[in-house]
Amino acid sequence: MSLRDDLYERLARRRSAKLGGLSPAAYDELLLSVREHPDTFVDDPHDQAFELLVQAVDRVIHSRKDDEFLGDDEFMAERTRRMERLRHDCAEALAVSPDSTHARLLNILAQDLEPDAQLDALLELDQVVSAETASLTPDYQDAWQDVFAHGPLRVKAVLSRTCLDTARYRMSVRYAQELIERNPSDMLGARHTCALSLARLEDEQGFDDLDARFGRRGDSWQQLSRTILFYKLGRMPAARRSLKGFAHLCEGGPYALLRPVMVDTYLPDRPDTDPYSFAEVTLAVHEADPVICDVPDLCTWAESQDGFGDEARLYAERNGYGW
Amino acid sequence: MSYDPHREDYQRLGLRFARSLDGADPIAATRAFASFGRRFSQNRDSLPQSDADRAFHLVAEATTLIDYELPFADDIQAEQLIDQGHRLLDEALALDAKCHDAIRMKAAAESSSFESYYDFLAQSAGDVRAACEEARAQACDESPERALLEADIAMRPYYRWLATQAGKAVICGRNREAIRLGEQLLELDPLDSADVRFTCAIAYAKLEDEAGLERFAARTKPLTRAGIDDAWMQLSRISLAHKRHDLGEARHLLRNLISAYPHATAALASQKELPDGVFARLAVAPFSEDELILAISEGTVLLQEGRDDSGRGVLGTWVARQVGLSSVKDSQQ
Repeated sequence: MSLRDDLYERLARRRSAKLGGLSPAAYDELLLSVREHPDTFVDDPHDQAFELLVQAVDRVIHSRKDDEFLGDDEFMAERTRRMERLRHDCAEALAVSPDSTHARLLNILAQDLEPDAQLDALLELDQVVSAETASLTPDYQDAWQDVFAHGPLRVKAVLSRTCLDTARYRMSVRYAQELIERNPSDMLGARHTCALSLARLEDEQGFDDLDARFGRRGDSWQQLSRTILFYKLGRMPAARRSLKGFAHLCEGGPYALLRPVMVDTYLPDRPDTDPYSFAEVTLAVHEADPVICDVPDLCTWAESQDGFGDEARLYAERNGYGW
Repeated sequence: MSYDPHREDYQRLGLRFARSLDGADPIAATRAFASFGRRFSQNRDSLPQSDADRAFHLVAEATTLIDYELPFADDIQAEQLIDQGHRLLDEALALDAKCHDAIRMKAAAESSSFESYYDFLAQSAGDVRAACEEARAQACDESPERALLEADIAMRPYYRWLATQAGKAVICGRNREAIRLGEQLLELDPLDSADVRFTCAIAYAKLEDEAGLERFAARTKPLTRAGIDDAWMQLSRISLAHKRHDLGEARHLLRNLISAYPHATAALASQKELPDGVFARLAVAPFSEDELILAISEGTVLLQEGRDDSGRGVLGTWVARQVGLSSVKDSQQ
């Protein structure tokens, strides 16, 4: 679910509340009209700010499309400009709606802070936002059903990932679990961060409970985390089986693991990807980086496993990627 | 405490020499023993010794070169020291094929990765234990005190083996395994001559298992020196406070560490990573600057964690900044 979808839903909800008593079919009609002409529905400063943010994020994501053709220096300069612009856009949104959670969250991300400083800022925001939303009585079993509650949920998701990035794995698990409690459908994929942190903590029980909670559905993060977990526990036959599963299920998995790439800041959500796609496994490996670095021989071990290195090279060859 | 190979070499020959004097006239024996120190240092070959003793002596010599001289050598010297060290280890193995210290030290150099070294240690641990226990069973000294020392010396190669394995487990990211190995060693050697509890403390911090670390600290409290926690335990607690984002507590613990060790701020600012001792953790004086440097080096796995552009790691950066701030404050006062 993108920020843009959130915008449409916010506008439809607000209009629907004004009109009152819309049938589900009428609401769907309304949502269609909103999607076609969102501007005509923006009459609240909160939504006006939200629209500014949606446009700002779209602009950044669109401008990232050509990044691969830039040299390192050019890329850094371009990225700095982009983040500056985003900060400016966040300031504009905050001027319209000073308590916008999304604007505050994106503003933190746009500052490119050191991991510890980012964590401080997010913890503060989480506290403020939690206090602000504590007075609201939850009408929904799953907070995601309320589009106006998405901001605080996103703060928790970013917080959990930032904890992982700053090597605070128990905290990362805690925030991911808090988020999953409030949003059991886990639209923001906190379970992925949680799985990586639990693997890093060598917490097999916690890992298994998480896996069971989500019906053992599996994905790139899960497959990678399981491999790391068993490797760390020294259960090598199980680790080998998991690695095989990772290579088999994740498109280009071996290549993604052995040749990790830089992934730019999530704004604020992890980009949507298809299950087990190359795009998904690329994100999983990127997010796992601090955990993988802590197991220094993991990649060498993986590469030496039957066919794994060959598969990676073959994938690179077939897709014209460098090796 | 750690292991000083020269002291152990001395103990081995001392024991054998004392045994050779058993049954002799006490006055003559006392006189003979008075000359032991001089003969040990100047005319070692005149003392009774087995091939295993000779092999161990070569291990001690190799340790001096590899663990104590190599870190300070320039490139040309380094190559010579390594060659010389290996020659000594080869000679040791030619004299005593079961010289497990030499086998372990050679494997450290020949392994292509942490993983392959760790695997080697894990695969052979059972055999090493059996061999050391067999040697211990043969301890036959008439004097109960000497028999105890003899039995202890017989087991030390295995203690060192396990301690090395535990240390490498942490480096390989296998912290539960490191604790399991540490516990196994502590059970065999409750006085912890290998100081494996230092490694365990780091492993508990890596697992962010505060309750586990505190239980472990309480259990090993009698081993603390002068009732003060060692730098490994202190660093682990700093790391845990930092990991739960209790920075006030982390700062307080860091100040404690700084007051427990001389020149601590310099060591904490530079955070040098040294090669691990190949024979054993280097023997340094308790609560010396060197001990802190060793602990920081082994604590690299805690300091250099997380995404951090400076390459120092999240905790490493934080610690360096804290000691930077405190030294600025000190100089202002």
